[in-house]
Amino acid sequence: MEPVVITGRGALSPLGNAAQTAVAVAEGQVAYGPIEDEVLGRLDRSGDPEALRTRMAGRVEYNPREVFPGRNFRPVDRTGQLAILAAEGALEGVEVAEEDRRGAFIGLVLGTMFGSVHTISAFDRRGLEAGPKYVKPLDFANSVINAAAGQAAIWLGLTGTNSTVTGGAAAGVLALAQATQLIRDGRAHALLAGGSEELSYEGLVGFEQAGLLSSGGRVRPFDRDRDGTVLGEGSALLLLESQGAATLRGARPLGRVLGHGSAFDTSRGRDPERAASALERAIRVALKDAGSPVDTINAVFTGACGLPGDVAEAKALAAVFGDAVPVTGTASNLGCCLGAGGAFQALGLLHAFEGGRLPALGGFERAPTEVSSLDWCREARTVDCRRGVLTATSFDGVVAAVVLERAGG
Amino acid sequence: MSIVDIRDKIKEIIANVTNLDPADIADNAHFIDDLQLDSLSLMEIGVDVDYEFKLGVPEERLQELRTVEDSVQLVLQTRAAKVA
Amino acid sequence: MPIDSVVVTGLGLVTPVGVGRETAWSQLLEGRSGLAPVRSFDTSRHSVSLGGEVKEEIAPELRRLPASIGRATRLAVTAAREALDDAGFGAAWDDDPTVGVAMGTTSGEPGWVEEMDDRWIAGELAGLGGGFLQHYPCHVIAAHLGEELGASGPNVMLPAACAAGNYAVGYAHDALKNGRADVMLAGGADAFSRITYTGFARLGAIAPERCQPFDRHRQGMVPGEGAAILVLERAQDARERGARIYAEVAGYGLSCDAHHMTAAHPDGDGAARAMRQALASAKLEPTEVSYVSAHGTGTPTNDKLETRALQQVFGGRSSSVPISSIKSMIGHTMGAASAIESCISALAIVNGAVPPTINYEEPDPECPLDCIPNDAREMSVDVVMNNAYAFGGNKASVILRRYSG
Repeated sequence: MEPVVITGRGALSPLGNAAQTAVAVAEGQVAYGPIEDEVLGRLDRSGDPEALRTRMAGRVEYNPREVFPGRNFRPVDRTGQLAILAAEGALEGVEVAEEDRRGAFIGLVLGTMFGSVHTISAFDRRGLEAGPKYVKPLDFANSVINAAAGQAAIWLGLTGTNSTVTGGAAAGVLALAQATQLIRDGRAHALLAGGSEELSYEGLVGFEQAGLLSSGGRVRPFDRDRDGTVLGEGSALLLLESQGAATLRGARPLGRVLGHGSAFDTSRGRDPERAASALERAIRVALKDAGSPVDTINAVFTGACGLPGDVAEAKALAAVFGDAVPVTGTASNLGCCLGAGGAFQALGLLHAFEGGRLPALGGFERAPTEVSSLDWCREARTVDCRRGVLTATSFDGVVAAVVLERAGG
Repeated sequence: MSIVDIRDKIKEIIANVTNLDPADIADNAHFIDDLQLDSLSLMEIGVDVDYEFKLGVPEERLQELRTVEDSVQLVLQTRAAKVA
Repeated sequence: MPIDSVVVTGLGLVTPVGVGRETAWSQLLEGRSGLAPVRSFDTSRHSVSLGGEVKEEIAPELRRLPASIGRATRLAVTAAREALDDAGFGAAWDDDPTVGVAMGTTSGEPGWVEEMDDRWIAGELAGLGGGFLQHYPCHVIAAHLGEELGASGPNVMLPAACAAGNYAVGYAHDALKNGRADVMLAGGADAFSRITYTGFARLGAIAPERCQPFDRHRQGMVPGEGAAILVLERAQDARERGARIYAEVAGYGLSCDAHHMTAAHPDGDGAARAMRQALASAKLEPTEVSYVSAHGTGTPTNDKLETRALQQVFGGRSSSVPISSIKSMIGHTMGAASAIESCISALAIVNGAVPPTINYEEPDPECPLDCIPNDAREMSVDVVMNNAYAFGGNKASVILRRYSG
């Protein structure tokens, strides 16, 4: 089994690139805020005050003309553009010229919840309004959920394995897990892995109509009085390689992926006990896979983002770690980035490996009544972080965990 | 709508598909040789021209469009035919 | 044979030529077409109307799921029930963490986004409700299966568009080999969709009257719908419980053209690499392949470039290795396609026959293949290569082999 090392990272969030985002999160900056109707108008194109009252969200501001100089970005939609920008960051400094990437067969495993539900809906509405003859061919190409991964491959010359993984807010962690397994099994040598999710009017409407958006406009992971989440957006990707391939090209590892595990809650969140036991199983599988006893873990980065499922996540963490391991995350700062969330958690953990700084669980004040014995990161803190766990719970019952270790052990 | 207006509108459509500044699109620009457009982008321009000018021409006519000038001529001819 | 080989022990099929593996198999062997004018939505404003819809009413009895689930889920549950029964597992598990689900799809449950859009246009978006989030995101197909069947092991949805079924089989294969689960339900599902149909119609890709893969005068593909589930297990487990084994999943390969979103690489680059990787992972030579289940959509470009890729991998044997496209009969069932084709490939191994490519009239000099024209062929099938290609340049080949445990 090939050991898997992390040799690159890239991201784009409202707080900046990978390094800027990780620092800002550790400092407690918040990436979301009230979005102007004008921005919603750009998201939305028609606006419907009745369907969407929420005005709180995280939105990456970038000018495509500036970040994609000299290339036609129209064929690539926002989810794809975000993925490309994260991938460029992760490949920065990698001594593989773009032409050579084809021969190197670098691949991409991308987590996403929606792909671009905006592209799909806009395509369909154009057909309804103007007639099927007038639908946009370029939009149809992006109507498939794997469009962003395909577009990034075209843009960057990534001819290796190209896979898209969904699974709601667990998609990013699942993508890291799938990429890890493909490299371990010798099916790939180098894979970008993580997630991309755009903020869309359609997504906002879906979440609001499901009653999942915070009425107070604040993400409060695990808090007793949490009232929903705030949607964010962005993309984050790690470059994963077999240790052999990384050594061969003299790459300096940022860390290692030690193990992964996933499971399914057949109650799909309706039964907190079953949900907790599913995540507990996933974490234990990941720890065993990593050969890492509980007492070797220095931090947990959860995906908890103020939703009802946070309780199950807390129960699972309490069952595995008790109060011995600090629990934090990135959603307090970034909002719920859906399929990209797990990859941002990974960035947070890598940053903790390097600077030893764990971000605070912003917005968390009182533990849920069901769980008390967790070491909540109420404040940012400095720890000697050697190994950490990423956990994710989707609204669909999919749960996953990944264990990372810092470079040099 | 004058021929200049038609040409400007067509350049605007092309600009939306290519991310070029309309001012940088020559009157005789060729979609493939000059603008390096792929099949999907070519089709997108045809769709947008058809929609914008309410041409309602057969698909084959749209597929033949290869230059800005082709597109201008198609609009003019279709309009002339409608008036006649 | 290594003890940890992964085998197929159950099949479930929902296709435009019928529901159930026996019905679908016999229809395909007889060369029947399931393509007909589309009924599920109005095609009067389109210039084409041919589609591959599942005609039977699909209303599986539901143990846990609400009746409001989308059509793709209903297709998938129907296929899964049959596959479980076929494998001798009964109707469901009681939350078994050793049972996992890996599914593929192109669109998930597009009916729910269409509902959103209809409401939007009608000015009634505010009435959408929570159903959209509960039932639309494409992962729900795998999640619904996990819930309904009590499968609480790994649960993954790989939306690799038209190659997704093969991605799912590959994922399940690895999950079993690595001990992540003891039983995996792997497959694909897609429901007929206004969005998909309109898109392919806009691209001019839909054949007006029939689907003619590899024929000189082929005019396009035909969108379809369906679902297929394969029950996969490690061979040792299957033998111990006395299960009937259809075939072994011998290997698979994934690659990407990185060339164009909708058009294949002009040299068949990614497709050839996926085939070679699949053969390498199965430790097989091209000469050992008995039958190729083609992607074979029937578009002028796909069939030409698939042939080019076959020529690279099979060399001179490319013109004689038997290959057929059941899309000539059921159309392109999107994310379900390669899962359906894997089921049919497994049946071909067991039954010693392969389905034809129908509507084949005039050979295309650019596709010099033995495409099993028009009539099924009785032949011994030991190794099948099943090819699937998708938007985004995603390529996946799966190899099934006769199990000789």
